[in-house]
Amino acid sequence: MSAFTLSLKASAQLLLSIAIILGCLAAAKVIMQFTQGSFPAPLLGMLLLLGLLLTGLIKEHHVTPSASPLLNYMPLFFIPAGVGFIEHLNLISLHWQFIVACLILVPLTSLLLISHLIAVFKGRAQHD
Amino acid sequence: MINLWWLCIPAVVTGFILLKHLNKLSQSTTFIALTTPVFLAIVFSALILILFNIPYETFSYHTQFLSWLLEPAIVALALPLYKQFLHVRKSALLIFISSVVGIVNATVVGFLLSIVFAVPKELAHSVAALSVTTPITLVVTDSLGGIASLAAAMVIFIGLLGALFGFIILQWSGVLNHQAQGVAIGTACHAIGTAAALNKHPQIGAFSSVAMALSALLTAIIVPWLYPYLSQLLL
Repeated sequence: MSAFTLSLKASAQLLLSIAIILGCLAAAKVIMQFTQGSFPAPLLGMLLLLGLLLTGLIKEHHVTPSASPLLNYMPLFFIPAGVGFIEHLNLISLHWQFIVACLILVPLTSLLLISHLIAVFKGRAQHD
Repeated sequence: MINLWWLCIPAVVTGFILLKHLNKLSQSTTFIALTTPVFLAIVFSALILILFNIPYETFSYHTQFLSWLLEPAIVALALPLYKQFLHVRKSALLIFISSVVGIVNATVVGFLLSIVFAVPKELAHSVAALSVTTPITLVVTDSLGGIASLAAAMVIFIGLLGALFGFIILQWSGVLNHQAQGVAIGTACHAIGTAAALNKHPQIGAFSSVAMALSALLTAIIVPWLYPYLSQLLL
């Protein structure tokens, strides 16, 4: 195959994978619009795509061309949203004790609960 | 005045890529955690906005293209979820139960703390989904009527704390089993904790990745239903 047909094929595969991902997202948005639910559409889209992968209707290599760059640079996409906390500095300084308590107690309790739960079944030792 | 706002996206992208390279300079777990690109990127952007008195609205308007990509990226998360599921069929049930316990615990602890501290509703709704990877926190918190950006910042911070102190706490509590450590870190401290776990031991890292993927899925399913139910029950 010439370089041209190869790159044409790669572009077609990229377009197909974009279409699959946007298709799942669009389908999820339509479903949420009709059911009037408050479930976040992107999450439903994720579940739809997972279902399609698990049933084998869509293969891993169908989505990889656009999924892997999206996943590699995912943190970039929530930087603008993350910076938004500066709009709530007043609220944060007013309730900083609550926020500090959450930052410490939420992960601490989960860590201890989960690790001990598994240790009950698997033992605490290093090797299982 | 010359319009320089179009520089927002190139600046954020360049900064992020530079931070990604910085992150790879050392193998030390502490260094990797403290130079987590998304953490530093948010801190630097926030500092620049505050120092130069730039309204957040302007920044968010000019970077909205990046935010648009978040939705398809969340859909793409199905791919690592699918891959991780194939990996762990054997111990799937135990990891599944632990993740459910971790997520419910995180939501309940956040909820109880919001009652103890008697915080405004908006703030209480912001701590409902802290035990999950940041993009999922953003959309779940938003759907619950919380401050998504605050939840995201908190989740990133929790990841950092987990990467820095998680293993010290686990060792201190006497749990050394790799599966127990991995699943606990993955569920409670998601991506940043998982990076630390991978650095500590490949097996812990593998369990951590699985638990992180699973808790992303389970949070997406459980929290949007559990939280309204909790608030009805107790308020």
